[in-house]
Amino acid sequence: MSEHGGTDARSRGPARRSFLRGALGAGVAGATVGAVGGAAVSRAVSAPSSVVATGHAMRAATEAGALRPVPFHGQHQAGILSPPQRQTIMLSFDVTADGRGELTDLLRVLTDRARFLSAGGTPPPVGISAPPSDSGVLGPVVVPDGLTITVGVSASLFDDRFGLAGRRPAGLTAMDVFPNDELDPAQCGGDLSLQLSAGSPDTVLHALRDIARHTRGGMQVRWRVDGFVSPPRPAGTPRNLQGFMDGIANPAVTDAAQMDSLVWITSAVSDGEQWTVGGSYLVVRLIRMLVEFWDRVSVIEQENMIGRRRASGAPLDGNDEFSIPDYAADPNGFVIPLTAHIRLANPRTAQTEPSRILRRGYNYDRGVDPVGDLDMGLIFTCYQQDIQRQFVAVQKRLINEPLTDYILPFGGGYFLALPGVTDASDYYGRAMLA
Amino acid sequence: MDGAVNCRLGLVASAVLGAAWLGGCAGAAQGSGHGQVTAGTVITVSAAGCGAGWRHPHSGPQTFQLRNVSAGAAEVYLINPLQGSLDPDSVSAPVFAEVEGLGPGTTTPMQVDVGSGTYAFECELQRDGTRIGPIVRIPGDVRGTPGILSVTFDDLIGSPIAPFAPARQYRAYVSSGLDTLASEVDALMADVGAGNLATARQAWLSSHLSYERLGAAYGTFGTFDSEIDGRADGLAGGLHSPRFTGFYRVEYGLWHGQSAADLTGPVTLLDHDLRGLRTAFPTMRLVLSDLGLRAHEILENALQFQLTGHDDYGSGTTLATTSANVDGTLELLKVLHPLLTTRYDGLPQAYAWLHRLQRLVDAARRPGGWTPVGALPASQREQIDAAAGQALEDLAPIAAIFEVQKQI
Repeated sequence: MSEHGGTDARSRGPARRSFLRGALGAGVAGATVGAVGGAAVSRAVSAPSSVVATGHAMRAATEAGALRPVPFHGQHQAGILSPPQRQTIMLSFDVTADGRGELTDLLRVLTDRARFLSAGGTPPPVGISAPPSDSGVLGPVVVPDGLTITVGVSASLFDDRFGLAGRRPAGLTAMDVFPNDELDPAQCGGDLSLQLSAGSPDTVLHALRDIARHTRGGMQVRWRVDGFVSPPRPAGTPRNLQGFMDGIANPAVTDAAQMDSLVWITSAVSDGEQWTVGGSYLVVRLIRMLVEFWDRVSVIEQENMIGRRRASGAPLDGNDEFSIPDYAADPNGFVIPLTAHIRLANPRTAQTEPSRILRRGYNYDRGVDPVGDLDMGLIFTCYQQDIQRQFVAVQKRLINEPLTDYILPFGGGYFLALPGVTDASDYYGRAMLA
Repeated sequence: MDGAVNCRLGLVASAVLGAAWLGGCAGAAQGSGHGQVTAGTVITVSAAGCGAGWRHPHSGPQTFQLRNVSAGAAEVYLINPLQGSLDPDSVSAPVFAEVEGLGPGTTTPMQVDVGSGTYAFECELQRDGTRIGPIVRIPGDVRGTPGILSVTFDDLIGSPIAPFAPARQYRAYVSSGLDTLASEVDALMADVGAGNLATARQAWLSSHLSYERLGAAYGTFGTFDSEIDGRADGLAGGLHSPRFTGFYRVEYGLWHGQSAADLTGPVTLLDHDLRGLRTAFPTMRLVLSDLGLRAHEILENALQFQLTGHDDYGSGTTLATTSANVDGTLELLKVLHPLLTTRYDGLPQAYAWLHRLQRLVDAARRPGGWTPVGALPASQREQIDAAAGQALEDLAPIAAIFEVQKQI
């Protein structure tokens, strides 16, 4: 189980991004692909700040069969800074628990299941007293396979059902509607978000079945989208389904100070919101890509809309993926158009620095629409300290960008990813319910 | 483990493990850590050596490798030999784990979490009858896989000492239900005969609910059930197949503008088939092990066909059907109750969720009829689906507990 491709990853050669992946594995997340971590840590410190880890190491580990366990207990939840795994299921639930007591039970059970599934182990034998305690999808011993489980709550949980009306953090609201949205209410909102990510599809499905089985009375799925992170093609940041590398310019998850200023809720919040400290605000946007239309657009037009080269990921004014675009040198947008996605999203000015977000995008693919076009796109997720200051500010800059003609935001929501579960007696939302 | 965990309705409790395992609460459903199950103690299965090989008894999750060195097939149970009866003709003791159909010369794992208590292997040998292995004592106060006293045919059929056995009680319930149905279908026939279709719709609903209250599921009534309550699915021609008969056929006509003349045939056939069932039922063989299965299967059907709206042929009354199915399930639990209370700690939760489901479903009843599931507000529908799902999880262990272990 713990055997995987560390050596293999190393032998593939030191693609820069794999260093950070290794550093993350050894340091921040503490586990994943730790085998490459040792050599990587010192290099990672000097790596460019905009790198989010992905790469050979992860691929090698996944191919070997199973990722290492990601520690479940901690100040923060796993699945926020830990390296993105290949498979994910993003769900939103409506809570059907009756009253605060049952909500507490629900969160305790959810914690117990997440703790077990993240660590793996042998499901308890039940003798002749019950059907088997586990679905058996992962075999007789549950392998963790790098499973991370990330739980969030939305503004709708803070109504009169659970006596939480007075506890809603001011920054947690219903999702804003933006001018180019086509939102389907059935695929928006929900009381509780749950993201399950791991190395393989069977691992995340096993986790979902286990959690659903233990929480049937307490919550019902409101919407669900399965997603995946593509392997690097041929190297570097994984591509989205428009063929572009997606998420190149992320803040560095290894930079604790930056994480404290951009991602985590810190004790700087008001007294009434101290229970949120250690959490992070999550924005989920389900965005269909009109890929048939997109594929009928010239690559030059595509690149002008994005602001990067499709093949290399380089900004239009640079030579490689991690070149930093120099907008000051191009004030009229002759090289990178003023309306290019990367330029609007992250103008790289001192004023816009506090609006940066930590993106974790996943591709989705789910069938065919009524005219026979493919329904695929992006599960856009991002973490931040303040939704209005960050995601909303970015999104407002993007209103009416040329790219909007080729994408269709149809669902999602705003959530607060709860503070981490610190130890065996702690549970999701304990401070919220205290 | 936090011993102070206070579970209310036990969302938790039983889902997978049954409250017996969990001690009735959340927080305990942890599996063992990685690799804690020992590779396996080899246990001999034979007439001379039943149970030999358990050399270093200890508590905790472990695997026994059962090696059948006898000349025939075997069934092996890990039992508590100090409770119940060890009469070799009819061993009746709490069972912690079982392996059936162990062929000669084969080795099969048996997983069990051994707690404090007394254990012995029981070998039921095709060639040599029953043998009980050496008694093993595990000291201390450690919780393990619960031992369940297996249900015997005697428990279900009854004896001169226990004349009100489940099978007999259940048969009486169904017989009386069929009597009620006969008069209700007479009324339905009369309404259709008189061309009074508005009244016929009401008579259809009461008679259909009476039938659904019987808890027929998965062939309880053999082919009668498909004639009386069959769907159009699976029939060539579907709704227009001549083999589409019974309550749903009549419902389809009553709610799709068919005339009294159109409906005379289907209603007459329904009446005929119900009479046939009523006549045949006293001599029909009741498959006893099915009683435990029905505890969740009736509701499995309700979830699959009624709460989805699949079986709505026009009347929009699938929530009424669900309520009737809950009645049928509760009746079944009533007759099984004496055997269940000593075997299943999760029973109170099962009742609680069934009652909650019924309360939620009945809230969809309006003065003029029932709300079709598709017209329910999403939150109300989620509440119903959640309660049905949780009730099913809490009912599922009953089937396992009632699996009749001793086929002799």
